[in-house]
Amino acid sequence: MTPGEDRTPDAGGDDHLAAEYVLGVLPGNEREVLARRIATDAGFARLVEAWEARLSPLNSGYDEMEVPASVKQALDARLFGHGAPATPKSGLLQSLAFWRGLAVASLAAFFIAIAIPLVLPVATTPGTRLVASLAGDKTDVRYLAAYDVRSSEIGLSHLAGDRAAGHDFELWIIKGKEPPVSLGVIPAGASVHLAVTPAHRDLIGSGALFAISLEPRGGSPTGKPTGPVVASGDLRAL
Amino acid sequence: MVPQQFTSHDVTKLIVRVSLKDRAAFDLLYRATSAKLFGVCLRVLSDRAEAEEALQEVFVKVWTKADRFVVSELSPISWLVAIARNHAIDRIRARSPRAAAIDEASELADARPGPEAQAIAEGERDRLGACLGELEADRAAAVRGAYLNGDSYAELAERFSVPLNTMRTWLRRSLMKLKECLER
Repeated sequence: MTPGEDRTPDAGGDDHLAAEYVLGVLPGNEREVLARRIATDAGFARLVEAWEARLSPLNSGYDEMEVPASVKQALDARLFGHGAPATPKSGLLQSLAFWRGLAVASLAAFFIAIAIPLVLPVATTPGTRLVASLAGDKTDVRYLAAYDVRSSEIGLSHLAGDRAAGHDFELWIIKGKEPPVSLGVIPAGASVHLAVTPAHRDLIGSGALFAISLEPRGGSPTGKPTGPVVASGDLRAL
Repeated sequence: MVPQQFTSHDVTKLIVRVSLKDRAAFDLLYRATSAKLFGVCLRVLSDRAEAEEALQEVFVKVWTKADRFVVSELSPISWLVAIARNHAIDRIRARSPRAAAIDEASELADARPGPEAQAIAEGERDRLGACLGELEADRAAAVRGAYLNGDSYAELAERFSVPLNTMRTWLRRSLMKLKECLER
């Protein structure tokens, strides 16, 4: 992945581009390029969001317009198919979204007050999942990890930070003072899963540490971390 | 019309619940915000059928991307309006220039309710309004028009009878002046 290679260090130029993107004046092809950049470049995304916040008072210039009922019916058909009941789905996907929401809440304290009362009723079996928010001091790499004890699967949500070209992120579990044990190379993607082998299941518990290191493509050749740790976080039972 | 009892805090909670794939929350979020977002689509696209289609696509995005809201620092309604604006603007940019020109000739002139006057009237008595007031009148109008209608550089240059690059310089300078003013 090399989306950052042609990035200029010219912050003024980026700020101009972010402002023009939000104002909406750019041609379609330039908007497409910038939209992709927003998805992959957290620094640029922050500039865009700052402009969205600055110009948002102009939103009062938009009138509310009555929407024909047929639009919502068509929308429901599109999203849920005809006659689908309006009940929440269950399963791993939902749990992942759920834990993702909760873990982010732990990053922004104010958010907890909003999220917990909402999501707690959704929790079916407490104590079967562990969650960790992974971040680093010196990098902008951020992941949220949720381990489902029953399925022995780790769900990872990629929030920010790219791997360097020709490298992979590798996930490690560190229990107490034991050496790190590899749980595998993290596949590229916004929301990915790693299966945990039976031998490693006992290592994953509350208080253990998840860490992500930068490794050559395909993972550490030695079985131990060889590159810098770019993000880490404690596992917590919730 | 839209029920007015939804506060910003309520909308935040609804978006969080939508990120958990809660359909009842999605229905409520739609009820609370679809009129505003339809206003955005209609204003930018100036075409009912297309705006209805765009509104659906906006809510499909909201359903699938609601989890992104939790890492955003925008207010919930600003976050939603940004999705709708970006989507509607991408749609007009994807139109052929000819179609856009025809739309402009036939609909924009009469369908749009004097955006400048209206925005000011609706109590833009905030800091941004004050900072826009520090710009030359035609530049402030260009910023408002671009933001609310989704005008392109090319359209603005034509309307104000200046070369495209001049328009770009105008707006870039105006935006940076706004930023400077807001940070004062």
